[in-house]
Amino acid sequence: MADEEEDPTFEEENEEVGGGAEGGQGKRKRLFSKELRCMMYGFGDDQNPYTESVDILEDLVIEFITEMTHKAMSIGRQGRVQVEDIVFLIRKDPRKFARVKDLLTMNEELKRARKAFDEANYGS
Amino acid sequence: MGSARESPTDKGGETGESDETTSAPVVPGTSDTDAVPEEPDGDGDADLKEAVAEEGELKSQDVSDLTAGEKEDSLLAPAAKKLKIDTKEKKEKKQKVDEDEIQKMQILVSSFSEEQLNRYEMYRRSAFPKAAIKRLIQSITGTSVSQNVVIAMSGISKVFVGEVVEEALDVCEKWGETPPLQPKHMREAVRRLKSKGQIPNSKHKKITFF
Repeated sequence: MADEEEDPTFEEENEEVGGGAEGGQGKRKRLFSKELRCMMYGFGDDQNPYTESVDILEDLVIEFITEMTHKAMSIGRQGRVQVEDIVFLIRKDPRKFARVKDLLTMNEELKRARKAFDEANYGS
Repeated sequence: MGSARESPTDKGGETGESDETTSAPVVPGTSDTDAVPEEPDGDGDADLKEAVAEEGELKSQDVSDLTAGEKEDSLLAPAAKKLKIDTKEKKEKKQKVDEDEIQKMQILVSSFSEEQLNRYEMYRRSAFPKAAIKRLIQSITGTSVSQNVVIAMSGISKVFVGEVVEEALDVCEKWGETPPLQPKHMREAVRRLKSKGQIPNSKHKKITFF
């Protein structure tokens, strides 16, 4: 019946937006759905990953960021999150450590390059 | 999923997971960034190869800037001079290793099939939106955070996702199943990573002696 078919999809939408009785972060709107899908494909999953898997990953990422933020707030300068704290927390994990170092180095390089470019433009 | 590309709204394709700034980047499509500005569709191949090549240029440029101060060598004391030569040699060797690696990457990328190219492109370009990450961190700390923190956090999160997905793929293969990944694979992957200590958890109080 048309009614029966409509109901499940309606319920699904409700759950995703946050009306369901789901535990955990069911209430919050999904922040990273699109980006996570691309990321999962990039890391080896199927081109169309399951929505439930994406949801689980989003919850994991948010929990990860929350934990890191809390830890960073408790070390170094209290109550603030600074880059040095993050680097300190990550020091044992070689992949993440190398990645953060690379990113920050490249950020500096780009800033320098951009500044030089702007100055060159300004001079001429 | 189709063409879900990530173009950073506030930064024009730079480092920092999603890795950027308001002005347009000087070096377009710098490789190894987590968010690269959207490129027109046809350019896929050439774009990626260019990005890999430009990373090499950028790095070599950086080193040449560093070696520009060579003239002052003769004024230094012998011990300091030796130290400087040591580090200079190490930097040159590192640069050569980098160049080798970049060449190898270029050869590898040029031999990708179309599906592999797609996947590689998604791998490089996907990134977390800076604004959302910033909002999330600020809602936890209550104070504002600097740009670098957002860059670092997005970067680490992407690596984290990679670790979980790779472990889940391992689990999936071990159980004799195929992608797409199902929640049970993800949960088993998280369980394994937890025992390795890759997943931070400050809720459970560890008892050292019992």
